[in-house]
Amino acid sequence: MFDKESGLLQGTVELLVLKTLSWGPMHGYGVASWIETVTSDALRVEEGSLYPALYRMAQKGWISAEWGLSENNRKAKYYRLTGEGRRQLRKQMSGWQRFAAAVDAAITSTVAPSWSR
Amino acid sequence: MKEPRKLPFIPGKPAAEVESELRFHLEHRIQANIAAGMTPDEARQAAVERFGDVEGVREECARLLTADRRTQRRRDWLDDFRQDLRFAARSAVGAPMFSLLAIVTLALGIGANAAVFGVVKSVLLNSLPYEDAGSLMRIRTPIKALGDEVGSVSAGTLSDLRERQRSFTTFGAWLSERDAIYDPGDMPQIVKTQWVEPSLFSTLGVRFIVGNNFREEDAGRDTAFVTVIPWKTWQTTFGGVPDVVGKQVRLNNIDRTVVGVLPRDFVMPEGDADYFYPMGIAPFMRDPISVRGSHNFGLVGRLKPGISFETADRELRAIGDELEKLYAKDNLGIGMIGQPLRDSIVGDTRTPLIVLLASAALVLLITCANLAGALLSRTISRRKEFAVRVALGAGRGRLVRQLLTESVLLAVAGGIAGVLLAMVLLGTLRSLSLEAIPRYADLSLDTGALIVTFFIALFTGLLFGLGPALSVGKSDPQSSLRDEARGSTESVRTRRLRGGLVAGQIALCLSLLAAAGLLGRSLWEMTHAPLGFSSDRLLTFTVQLPNARYPNGTTRGNFHAQFTEQLKALPGVAGVAITSALPTTIANRNGLFVENRPWGPNEPVPFMVTSRVSDDYFAVFGIPVKQGRAFSSADIAGAPPVAVISQEMADRYWPNGDAVGSRFRWGPPNPDQPWTTVVGVAGNVRNSPTALRQEPMMFFPLRQQPFGDTFAVKTSGDPSVLTNAVRTALRGIDPGLPMYRVATMENVVDRGFAARRLPVLLMMGFGVLALLVSSVGIYAMFANMATAREREFGVRMALGSSRGAVASLVLQQGGVWMALGLILGAAGVFTTTRLIRSQLFGVGELDLLAIGAAVVVLLGCAGLALLVPVRKATRVDPITVLR
Repeated sequence: MFDKESGLLQGTVELLVLKTLSWGPMHGYGVASWIETVTSDALRVEEGSLYPALYRMAQKGWISAEWGLSENNRKAKYYRLTGEGRRQLRKQMSGWQRFAAAVDAAITSTVAPSWSR
Repeated sequence: MKEPRKLPFIPGKPAAEVESELRFHLEHRIQANIAAGMTPDEARQAAVERFGDVEGVREECARLLTADRRTQRRRDWLDDFRQDLRFAARSAVGAPMFSLLAIVTLALGIGANAAVFGVVKSVLLNSLPYEDAGSLMRIRTPIKALGDEVGSVSAGTLSDLRERQRSFTTFGAWLSERDAIYDPGDMPQIVKTQWVEPSLFSTLGVRFIVGNNFREEDAGRDTAFVTVIPWKTWQTTFGGVPDVVGKQVRLNNIDRTVVGVLPRDFVMPEGDADYFYPMGIAPFMRDPISVRGSHNFGLVGRLKPGISFETADRELRAIGDELEKLYAKDNLGIGMIGQPLRDSIVGDTRTPLIVLLASAALVLLITCANLAGALLSRTISRRKEFAVRVALGAGRGRLVRQLLTESVLLAVAGGIAGVLLAMVLLGTLRSLSLEAIPRYADLSLDTGALIVTFFIALFTGLLFGLGPALSVGKSDPQSSLRDEARGSTESVRTRRLRGGLVAGQIALCLSLLAAAGLLGRSLWEMTHAPLGFSSDRLLTFTVQLPNARYPNGTTRGNFHAQFTEQLKALPGVAGVAITSALPTTIANRNGLFVENRPWGPNEPVPFMVTSRVSDDYFAVFGIPVKQGRAFSSADIAGAPPVAVISQEMADRYWPNGDAVGSRFRWGPPNPDQPWTTVVGVAGNVRNSPTALRQEPMMFFPLRQQPFGDTFAVKTSGDPSVLTNAVRTALRGIDPGLPMYRVATMENVVDRGFAARRLPVLLMMGFGVLALLVSSVGIYAMFANMATAREREFGVRMALGSSRGAVASLVLQQGGVWMALGLILGAAGVFTTTRLIRSQLFGVGELDLLAIGAAVVVLLGCAGLALLVPVRKATRVDPITVLR
């Protein structure tokens, strides 16, 4: 899902994780499942590649890890957005939207380039 | 999403943590797959496929987590450290008197160590200013019977050594320094010259900064027409001009051409000169008597690569034995040894330096013990603060760390002040330019010394902080909080710790004081032991007669007679003596051959200290002539040769008391030499003021051997006021003769002690410092004890106890520790006195006077120190205390 071959940018993975955790603390499996659900499995690739991304983000201080009990009372590692993570999310969201809008504008353009006329 | 229930986060092993997280993921996926209708096997396979490279992810995550944890730990540590440091600084400022006292004490302790280490490093550790100095060896031919390690080499031995040896690549020999008259035209002055083989500079690996070394052919002539100058001469006499090579300098009425300049840091392995002349040993080889009879040369050799000092020394000893057999007439009893050049230069300085280093370390240990005691009191008064912090969740480890940070901060501050102090001390030492310190030693604190000092400070801080810090770590916060409200007595453990610290201080202090006392007594014995002559009211100076104008005995004798007459005519002059060397400074020694008593085949020729003296010498120096007569005007050149010998010499070689009238020959064995008749026996004179040994001496009349240029003028008043009158008189006879080495005889004798005096004075300084610090420690112990038991004393007194009983209670409690200190100190004294044994003079190793004085001084100071607290304890007012 998030590895290099999938063509997804590292930054995209991070943005998706930040967005997911903005709903509240969640474990790795929950993060992966939620992303797959909301994207309707469109980005469904190898789930394992999510974990190194989580560890890197923890190291950067965007998310923090803690132990908690899962829904079925199992010990699980939960990730939580930090203040810095929240700032990152806002920054990356607006960046992504500008990027997507620009690409969208280009591919939906009906004005032909001058050299094709 | 709702908040999960939190579990305490306990960081486990990164690998296990990652493993559990991934397993959680896979198991959930399998559950989901089964729920979607797969069989368990299918579900498992699909989950793994969907996850991807489980192994790879696990490894990468473990690596990332490990790195993260490491940075986290470092960050936490730094945060804690910063916090501790801030807190330590605050608490140091909060108790300014305590901090100031601690820093001053530490500055003294650390400063003493840094200064002594600076000297030790400069003298013993810094490299000698020669290339590859580690393979240079000093070669000597000592008289075996004396057990000394000194002895110059004869020309014959040098030549034989060069042929026989296989351990060395090159050798360089030199002669001891001589005075010469440098006459730039207006004002003649005395300079020092030294003859050296051209190979000396190349053996030492000297790189000339201007010009070059001598050429081999320069060494072939009997007169030196070229000279090599040291950096100092280049700067002072030639103004440091770059084109100094080729310039002429007139020395002893002969022009010599400068060919090279030695580098600034160059020092001779022995001696010191303003001008060097090239020397070859060929002329010395021509004289059949002096070739093996005169031991004149200093010698260094450079070892071949791979040859050890031990191997070379063994070879030298073997060659020495061979030559002794081969030339028994001259070499009997003379050996040959080699020693590393550094050892030979450092010589006698090593032991005093190590003693000083040990003393400084003792002072620092006492300082540590003292501060530990002071810190202990401070932690006790801060007990409540610590108890609160522990109760609020501070770990004991954190508390201990906090306290150690405080003590290390104090120690580092003290260390910085100490380094400044040491720099001042070393600067003073440098300006004294003592002969006791080898000239290559720069006496500065370089980076290495600063690093060592920093670690000393760090170590000191940990050492004195550890005990008090641990005592806090162990105390029970609950009882502390409760007790503190009522000001209870000290715990048994702190009392023991404090007592132990005081006992340690007393023990160390006693060891140091005993050593200082012994050395002090040695110095006193040395300076007060009778020298055998009177140095009272004597002005001494040297007038060298250049060969060019005073070529023979007649001209010299005339000068001596004329100048003596003029001096005697000066007001305030009671007598005039001329000699080849002043008492206590005679270096000349000659072999002795007694008539009708030939030395046996295994009897080495004994050597006598030799001096040439004028008729009035014995009278002027107050040396008694015990038998026979002193010299008279009848003992002239051409008359039968005569000598006066010392009592020691008479007793040794004419034990039947028949010395007067007996005859002997002296110097290198020479059957053509006329016999010299003993005409008198004089009292013994100690030639080395720092040794008790009485060396046999012989005196010859200056009239028969007119080689003496040192004058001693006995005055009726202060001798130094006569200097100008003497100078004027000399100028009246010959204005071209400079008068130099002007000093009173007392100064001359005193200079001989200088090397011995400095370490003793320093040692005593350390002793005083130790005494002060320990006294403060003893005072603090009693003061704390008295304060801690104030309530108890109040109760006792309320119940009818007398003041005396209370005082004896305090004294008993403290006295036990002082007694323990004295017992430990006895062991310390035993050890330190052993270390300084070789430095003692005329005092036994366990001299009761010195050690007793140390004990008395220590107990006296301790008594003073405990007077106030004990008095205070007896003045406790039961009503105030118990309210």
